[in-house]
Amino acid sequence: LDFSRCASHMLTKKPPVLQSFLSLVSRRASHLARQQYDVIVVGGGHAGTEAAAAAARVGAETLLVTQKTNTIGALSCNPSLGGVGKGHLVKEVDALDGLCGRAGDWAGIHFSILNRSKGPAVWGPRAQLDRQRYREFIQSELLSTPRLTVLEGSVEELLVTEPNPEEPGHHRVTGIHLANGSHPILASSVILTTGTFLSGSLFVGQTTSPGGRIGDAPSSAGLSHTLRERLGLRIGRLRTGTPPRIVKDTVDLSLTNLHPPDSHPTPFSFLNTHTRCKPEEQLPCYLTHTTPGVDRVVRESLHLNCHIQQDTKGPRYCPSIESRVLRFPGRRHQVWLEPEGLNSDLLYPQGLSMTMPPDVQLRLIREIPALHRAEIHTPGYGVQYDFVCPTQLSPALQVKSTQGLFLAGQINGTTGYEEAAAQGLWAGVNAARSALSMPPVALSRTESYIGVLIDDLVSRGVTEPYRMFTSRAEFRTSLRPDNADLRLTLKGRCVSSLRYQEAVRVRDGLQDALAALQTLTLSTHLWRKKLPDIGISESKSTILTGMDLLQYNNVSFEMLASVFPECLSPYMEFSQRLNIEAVYRPHCDLQKKEIERIQKEENMTLPQDIDYFSLPVSLSQEVREILDRVRPSTLGAATRLQGMTPAAVVNLLRYVQHTGQRGRRTHRNQPDQKEEREEELCARNASLPQ
Amino acid sequence: MRFLVFAYLPRVVDFLLFLDFSLFPRGFVCLSTIASFSNHRGMPPCRLLSTCDGVPPGLADAETIFALSSGHGRCGVAVIRVSGPASATALRCMAGLTRSLPPPRTALLRSITDSQAKEVLDRGLVLWFPAPHSFTGEDSVEFHIHGGPAVVTAVLQALGSVPGMRPAEAGEFTRRAFQAGKLGLTEVEGLGDLIHAETEAQRRQALRQMSGELGRLYQDWSHRLKRCLAHVEAFIDFSEDELIEDGVLNQVDRSVCTLQAEMVRHLKDERRGERLRSGVQVVIAGATNAGKSSLLNTLCQRPAAIVSPIAGTTRDVVETALDIGGFPVLLSDTAGLRDSLDLVEREGVRRARERVEQADLTLVVVDCAYLPTDVQQAAAFLQGHLKSVLQTQEQPETALPADRYLLVLNKTDLVPEDQRQKLDRELRQVSGLPPVCLISCHTNEGLQDFLTVLHSNVKTLCGDPLSGAPTLTQARHRAHLQQCVAALAQYQRYRDADLALAAEGVRLALTSLGRITGRVGAEEILDIIFKDFCIGK
Repeated sequence: LDFSRCASHMLTKKPPVLQSFLSLVSRRASHLARQQYDVIVVGGGHAGTEAAAAAARVGAETLLVTQKTNTIGALSCNPSLGGVGKGHLVKEVDALDGLCGRAGDWAGIHFSILNRSKGPAVWGPRAQLDRQRYREFIQSELLSTPRLTVLEGSVEELLVTEPNPEEPGHHRVTGIHLANGSHPILASSVILTTGTFLSGSLFVGQTTSPGGRIGDAPSSAGLSHTLRERLGLRIGRLRTGTPPRIVKDTVDLSLTNLHPPDSHPTPFSFLNTHTRCKPEEQLPCYLTHTTPGVDRVVRESLHLNCHIQQDTKGPRYCPSIESRVLRFPGRRHQVWLEPEGLNSDLLYPQGLSMTMPPDVQLRLIREIPALHRAEIHTPGYGVQYDFVCPTQLSPALQVKSTQGLFLAGQINGTTGYEEAAAQGLWAGVNAARSALSMPPVALSRTESYIGVLIDDLVSRGVTEPYRMFTSRAEFRTSLRPDNADLRLTLKGRCVSSLRYQEAVRVRDGLQDALAALQTLTLSTHLWRKKLPDIGISESKSTILTGMDLLQYNNVSFEMLASVFPECLSPYMEFSQRLNIEAVYRPHCDLQKKEIERIQKEENMTLPQDIDYFSLPVSLSQEVREILDRVRPSTLGAATRLQGMTPAAVVNLLRYVQHTGQRGRRTHRNQPDQKEEREEELCARNASLPQ
Repeated sequence: MRFLVFAYLPRVVDFLLFLDFSLFPRGFVCLSTIASFSNHRGMPPCRLLSTCDGVPPGLADAETIFALSSGHGRCGVAVIRVSGPASATALRCMAGLTRSLPPPRTALLRSITDSQAKEVLDRGLVLWFPAPHSFTGEDSVEFHIHGGPAVVTAVLQALGSVPGMRPAEAGEFTRRAFQAGKLGLTEVEGLGDLIHAETEAQRRQALRQMSGELGRLYQDWSHRLKRCLAHVEAFIDFSEDELIEDGVLNQVDRSVCTLQAEMVRHLKDERRGERLRSGVQVVIAGATNAGKSSLLNTLCQRPAAIVSPIAGTTRDVVETALDIGGFPVLLSDTAGLRDSLDLVEREGVRRARERVEQADLTLVVVDCAYLPTDVQQAAAFLQGHLKSVLQTQEQPETALPADRYLLVLNKTDLVPEDQRQKLDRELRQVSGLPPVCLISCHTNEGLQDFLTVLHSNVKTLCGDPLSGAPTLTQARHRAHLQQCVAALAQYQRYRDADLALAAEGVRLALTSLGRITGRVGAEEILDIIFKDFCIGK
């Protein structure tokens, strides 16, 4: 076993003391080194931090503006990362060199792989986190990112140009204006990751106050106004909530079921071979259930609960205890008591998000036997906030009508840290590319969950907070957590050379190993002799390869390697990946053709300025209206629209071919330029300090 | 330019054809037909075949298609075309050629047999066109057999049971020819129209069947499969955090088992459920008291429908089978279209509209006496009238396809002769109107001309092998159902080892069935999950 070759530098690096971070970044706007950046990121949550780091990795001079620097990287709600579907996103963000995977490995205090028994395509890597450690890691990581400056301040206004008279409704972003700041800060790209702060209001019982998170100032109304009035964006409203935090000492843990973590923590990051937390240091979770008393308290307090009475859409899959009780009366609901950190004296009751008055919250939780004497440290509350209907965005997460304006996270109607991080990273990459005059890049839904997420958002929109599930991915068997690096890292848009080289090494190693397995051919007779216990049918007489053998339930790569050490033992570090690959490869091969077909169509872009009503091709009025309303960015997206007909797509294609031809003639040198830039980009990456 | 079109177009068209858009307007398919086909066989690709029991070619991009290429209806000879790598296998199996293939492009008289039932179906000519010298550029075979529907159906079904074969989707032969560079650019320009025409025909066909017993059966299966998938997906996505008991999966096991058994039984059932209506569907529609029932009676030369001067006499659909110039026609008389408070009549109007929607050809009957005397105004009136009669149709902005509608101006005996002639002469020149026929069911005046027009329309429709040919649709349904059954086997195979791959099986099954009943999207599955379970993480 050669683990030493795998980089695990992230875990050996100590984060700097938090104090020094704050002193470094708490600059006044007037002290900034420059008044012009390539990219400005507004917001320091999961989307904002990933966006800022990704933009800087791509090579853009980046400024992150946040209201409070010490809440950068804060976990506002649950102290956990990953899960089924969400864990897939974390692996993909990590494969693209994002922060959250490594932060999870640094801060995790309870690691487990969910769905362990259900097949590797749906394994859900998950961890409970130490809030303090998570924040530390993210902050130190941002601090050590070249080209990235952090500024504490509140954004008063977004600066946009007047619409071009020839293109009504089309603006370009030029920068931001800070509250109290005399000078505007200019930038080619601005990424808004304001989370629940956009016109956010907080609800507890019957009181409502402006804000996006308890304890933080509300954001300025100027931003919301610009989006709505000046840019004319369609805005919707969503709600979410968080449970009360409970004092651990007051919980009778003997009345709960103990849920231990995995005995061997599996790190999220492809760069890490172990987690910071030692296996034996991990903390357990506790499971308990609601009682009929909880139902009763909910019902009796409905009139005191104005959040629940509003008809704003909340998530169906992360409902408050109120909506659970109302929708499924008389049932027992699970409540997980999760640790908040190694040294924290609080527990987080997952499943008890609530918005009733604090005294009623206390009454409610005490209806649960294990919590009959529990004390509440901070009451739960609800948040309602504005989101921008994401069908107004391009697959690069840029607002279609405003050049240079990118949105990521809850502002696009999603929920969850992982969904926010994934969008932040991709918006960061594209905002930087746009600022550096590079063409936008898109991730296809055929190659990643990030692609599924973005495609769902921009082509279908949201009606409730959007959360990732594995069932949303059509090509789930191909998009596995184990192969995220092979799918994404090698695209090399925003990854360090260290990570790139590691992915190349893994790819080549796996290829060699698969070739070795493929050339390992024996007759069934000989296989039976070598491996007598695996039950190859006596009646079967043919030639089988090592790959064929791995398809048997009870055959593992380790087993084959012990029989054929000379040709297989060099690949032991990949044994788990090879076991998975062997079972899934035939299924993935079948999906390949469909995937290629979809990708071809997604490579055929439709110009955003087409006037579909005057297009000189045969299209029905109905189809023209659909196309005009949705403005799909590729032919692939167009074929997925409801109401498109095959004939319409063929006619549209013919038109695109004609115009594409004309376009090519006028920009003949463009592909070469693009390649040059790619090379330049790689060079920049290679020179990044590791 | 030429190069670019060739590089891209085939794949898009390919994609479109797979979707069978007519049936699922949202048109996103998780996996191609082929995937589940080759998946369930799991055989390596192999092109050298000696017997039909051998390993079929499993290459996903090289499957073999077949279809009736000649027109439907009474005809002496029917031509069935096969294209793709398994063509040779099909020829060997069906024509009993065990050793060598016939010389290329030479007709050979053989007994056509069903290789599984070992039963002689017909005696006819077989032609072998090895690649690239064929219409599609692929290995192709033509069977020239006797034209009776029974023979055609039997041969199509026998072909469908040859491994690696499936019925062609609309326009697929043309698409393959195009891919092989056998079509010029001008011919490609017509591809859009072709696909439109064919998917339209399929849509009408599907609507017809979906309103029947068979449709209800498929819908029921689809509904049950959706629940199965939703429950497996709920178990995958939520069981770690939620109270979703293992019992859920046991229920799914039972459902999958039952569904599979029902589908297998259905596939074995020789009667195959409901007897599908055969023939070109011609529907008579129009306002009340325009003389629709009189037209029906005139055409079938017997009082099949009650006629009276009272508006709204016909309230239900009256059907009668006719032979028009040798072509089978199912003629339906419908209730007059008007807003009525009478519940029975309203139901009649609803049925009438439904029939028009499903029709291959609609005869819109208008009472001449209501026509404005000025021809321009008359044309405008007729256009407005057509719109109201056909209001449920999706209206392409181009003119109504002339071969799907006929305007029948009835009661010409009530109009002065000179006015009649003027109408006849001038309405023909108005663009945007379907062909106009002036008749009088009372005096039979103009009937002969009308029959000539009707005959030529029916003939054109019968030339389109898709219209009114239940055997083809049936063969497609069979293929999809077989894939569905195979995909469900994947569920059972992986149920205990890998639930993700097992779920993939149910997904594939639903995709296959979706090709008959309409596409099922991820959101629909999530809706069922949230309805059935209290999900709270």
